[in-house]
Amino acid sequence: MSARETILARIRRSAKAEGDRAANVRARLSGAAQPLTPRQGQTAGEERTLQFIAKAESVDATVTRLARLDDLPAALAEELRNRNLPAAIRTGEDPAFDRDWGTVERTKGTGRIEEPATLSRAPLAMAETGTLVLASGPENPVTLTFLGETHFVVIRESDIQAGFEDMWAEFRNRGLDPRTVNMVTGPSRSADIGQRLQLGAHGPVALHVFVVGE
Amino acid sequence: MSAFHPTSARFKQNAREALANVNIQAAMSTTGSGFVGKRAAARAALPEFDDLRDRARDLKNHVLGHLDLYLEHYEDQVTKAGGHVHWAETAEDARRIVLEICRKAGAKTVNKGKTMISEECGINDYLEENGIQPVETDLGEYIIQLRREAPSHIIAPAIHVTVPEVDALFREKHGHLDKDRPLDHALLLAEARKILREKYFEAEVGITGANMLVAETGQSVIVTNEGNGDLSQSLPRVHIVMASLEKIVPTLEDAANVLRVLARSATGQEMSVYTTFSSGPKRDADPDGPEEYHVVLLDNGRSGMIGTEFQEMLRCIRCGACMNHCPVYQAVGGHAYGWVYPGPMGAVLTPSLIGVEEGGQLPNASTFCGRCESVCPMRIPLPKMMRHWREREFERQLTPGAARFGLGVWRMVAGRRWLYGLASRMGAFGLRVWSRGRARIRKLPLGRGWTDHRDFPTPQGGTFQGQWRAKR
Repeated sequence: MSARETILARIRRSAKAEGDRAANVRARLSGAAQPLTPRQGQTAGEERTLQFIAKAESVDATVTRLARLDDLPAALAEELRNRNLPAAIRTGEDPAFDRDWGTVERTKGTGRIEEPATLSRAPLAMAETGTLVLASGPENPVTLTFLGETHFVVIRESDIQAGFEDMWAEFRNRGLDPRTVNMVTGPSRSADIGQRLQLGAHGPVALHVFVVGE
Repeated sequence: MSAFHPTSARFKQNAREALANVNIQAAMSTTGSGFVGKRAAARAALPEFDDLRDRARDLKNHVLGHLDLYLEHYEDQVTKAGGHVHWAETAEDARRIVLEICRKAGAKTVNKGKTMISEECGINDYLEENGIQPVETDLGEYIIQLRREAPSHIIAPAIHVTVPEVDALFREKHGHLDKDRPLDHALLLAEARKILREKYFEAEVGITGANMLVAETGQSVIVTNEGNGDLSQSLPRVHIVMASLEKIVPTLEDAANVLRVLARSATGQEMSVYTTFSSGPKRDADPDGPEEYHVVLLDNGRSGMIGTEFQEMLRCIRCGACMNHCPVYQAVGGHAYGWVYPGPMGAVLTPSLIGVEEGGQLPNASTFCGRCESVCPMRIPLPKMMRHWREREFERQLTPGAARFGLGVWRMVAGRRWLYGLASRMGAFGLRVWSRGRARIRKLPLGRGWTDHRDFPTPQGGTFQGQWRAKR
């Protein structure tokens, strides 16, 4: 018998449950269990947007609100200046970024070993915890999320969901199937040296979010 | 210390050495309070927290009752996404499978995100013996790999290492750098970041663990704060996930339930910085990500726990809350436990995985104060299971003679009410005389195991039974 068969047979002999086990599994996989969504994962409207911003800031992200996507190049140029970063940005193929970048030099591609500033668009976010939900792919390559020294992320207000449950519903609704779903809650950190929390362990030292109105 | 040579059987000696070790004591003195306070604050901030713990417990009980079916569904989903599932009955099988994949990939270097399963299987030593260099990328794991040690905490592996020790270690191991360079917390971090950044681009294979496996989608889930697990799986050509088979959750909503209790219980965060769901190799159009995706599904004794009094241990999500709240762990640190899993969860799991002969000492390393169970997000009755192990140890005549004799005397006295009453009255009287009127006793003959580390309170106002009778 193969290892697979041996293991499965051993479990089958000892696993106990009420009712028809196969039917139980089918039911659960088709969403029969009613999840418990905490109140903090149920906000709506402007309150939801403000909650997302407050939660993100509480985990050391910084946030700017923009009325329109057209305001992005100027806002990004200013952020780069304020952070003493070169006027250059690395992005993927996301059509949202096909625009005139003015003084900022935009290059397309994956993350390289040194990447001072990268820009991604998150298809979804959760106000519950201030979490960005990114999906890997040509539009927003996964390495940009982790190799940028400073990572900039664009999220549309209408893409901010209240919590896990409506986020997963919308995720399925849009038929997304990326190789990785990357939930990002603040910049990278570690307390492994002397139990003192420091930002920028392997991933970004700083995370800046542009919340875009339309 | 290697995974192949557990020293759990000499726990008592290990503990004595740890209590006398100045560095361990310095590091442990600051450990507990941080995690404990942060968890308490996170719990207070979420009114639904305890309800979510109940649901997490129920959800895992459901999974364990249907585990064979969920594993089959999970495997189908991984295969549909273009990945491969490899079933490993033992640690040895897992080592062989991992080595085979690495060899096929022509790997010289393998990057590793944090995985306790790989510690359990002793992957690092095995790869090295076979000419492949494993590089731990979690900062804490990197530090202990350089020190050639096992982790002393499941989420903070280098918690026993002081900053001066890290400083000396980096100066020794990073010999190509100026030896008089200044180093502090931030510079140490920056140095490790730079060195490991290069390693990410060199490795042919990346190995990560899995906090969960989602049956619905065939995804593996990892949770980190550093981002190392993501760089380890996104840059190399091959991604290997090492997961034990009880990591299954049915749906994405079930994963959310576990995530809501996991980080809060571990570090007091609402969410860890990075939570990543991975399925299969990169898609055709993707410019980055691995070309191969393998899951090594490890049993190593777990399927044998199903249907026994130890089944509930398989609910564990490895948050570390039990050790953060354990007075024994806080005093002796993780290495005294002698194998991969320390603290209360280790005391239950170790004898299950490596046998009661090797690990049977660990369930004795508990005062049964019950804090571990009270904070466990999965509500695992850890003290009850430690008691089961003690019974088994006793039944199998593994308990030392002195302890058996003591238990015999206790049984004789406790079974005779008059004798018990007499003994406790005499004991209390004796202690009062010995204390010479002080409230705390500094030194106790025959009781130095206690008084060497803390004072013994002088009994006040009669025996419990005497007070009970008076108040009735």
